[in-house]
Amino acid sequence: MDSTESFPLRKSVPWRTLDTEALVVDVKGGLLYPLNSVGARIWDLCDGARSVDEIVGVIADEFAAPETTIRTDAIEFIERLADAKLISIERRRQGESR
Amino acid sequence: MAERTPRIDVAGLVFRVGGLAAAGRAWVEERYGPFLSRRAPTFGVQVRVSERYRPGRMPRPSAAWHDGRFALASHPSRADGDLARRRVAFRAGPGPALNPDLFRLLCSFLLMQKGGVLIHASAVVDGSGAWVFSGPSGSGKTTIAGLAGDRVVLNDETIALRPAPRGWRACATPFYGSGGPSMARVNDSAPVRGLCFLRKSSRFAHRRLTPTEVVSRAFPEVMLPKRDARVAERLLATLASLGAAVPAWELAFTPDPAIWSYLDGLD
Repeated sequence: MDSTESFPLRKSVPWRTLDTEALVVDVKGGLLYPLNSVGARIWDLCDGARSVDEIVGVIADEFAAPETTIRTDAIEFIERLADAKLISIERRRQGESR
Repeated sequence: MAERTPRIDVAGLVFRVGGLAAAGRAWVEERYGPFLSRRAPTFGVQVRVSERYRPGRMPRPSAAWHDGRFALASHPSRADGDLARRRVAFRAGPGPALNPDLFRLLCSFLLMQKGGVLIHASAVVDGSGAWVFSGPSGSGKTTIAGLAGDRVVLNDETIALRPAPRGWRACATPFYGSGGPSMARVNDSAPVRGLCFLRKSSRFAHRRLTPTEVVSRAFPEVMLPKRDARVAERLLATLASLGAAVPAWELAFTPDPAIWSYLDGLD
C-alpha cells in the first residue's frame, strides 16, 4: 500500500455512524461490522481521495498513539475492509491529493 | 352462504388470506387461531399453489425490494407484492397452505415498512411492560418464557417491535419456537420495559449496552435476509432508533423464577 492509492467506499454498502462509532453491512454475507471510534474515523477518511499517508496523518493528529503503530494498524484495517469488499483500492490520478 | 375468508392480525398488520381451498382454510384457522381478526384488512394475500416439490439444494431465503414492489422467497414458497396496492401473491409449494416461514418473512418485511422489526426473541409482560429477550438459538429465550408463571407470554421465538407515540411496543406473533403453540396463545402487546440479549450462566449478571451495541446485537436477530442493500439500510435506521429509545442489557441468567425480581433491579 503506498501514496499512489486511494480507498473509495463501495457504493452499495449500507453503513451508519452512531455517536463516534460506525456500523457497516456486508450485504453479500448479510453480516454487520461494528467499528470502534478509530475504525469509524478511518472509514470516514476512506473517501476515494486520501492516501494511506494522509489517513495516518489525520488519525495521528486526533488520537494519542505512536504514528508507527497507527500506520501498521491502519494498513491492516484498510486491507481487511478491502478483503471484505467494503472499499476498493484504486490508483489515484497523477497529481491528485487533498 | 359465502365462505369466510380468514383475516390474520400480526402486530396490527391485518392480512385477508384468499384463494384457500376448504382444507387450507381450516389449516390456517387452526394454526393462526388466536390471531384471527375481524378488523379491516391492511393487506390482501392471495394464495396459489403453483410449485411442485423440487429435490436438490435448498436456496437461502431472500428479500428484494424495488419501486414499491417486493419479492420474498422461503423455499419452496415465494411472495410477490405491491406496497401501493397492498396486495401479495403468495405462491405456495407443497405443505402448509400459508407457509409459516414465508408468512413470517412477509410480516417482517411489511413491519419494516412501518418502522418496526420482527426479531428473534421471546417476551414476557411483567408489571408495566414487556421484557424482550433476544439471542440466537440456544441462548435461553424459551427457557425464560417458561419461567413466566402467570405473566403473559407474547411469544418464545418471534416478537414484533413497533414504534408507538410513547416509546416502543412489543407485540405477540403466531410464530412460536420450541415451546410450541402454547407460546402463541394471546394476541397482545405492551410497552417495552427493556431489551435483554441473553447468555446462559450459573448466576445472574448484566451489563448495560450502548446504542451501537444494541444495533450490532439486534441486527443478526432480525428475521429478514440482509443481502439487499435497501433492506439492510432500512434496518440500520430502525435499529438505531430502537437503540436510542429502549434500555438494553446483556443478561447472563440461570433458569430461576427469581429472574423477575432481578430484572426489576436493572439499572
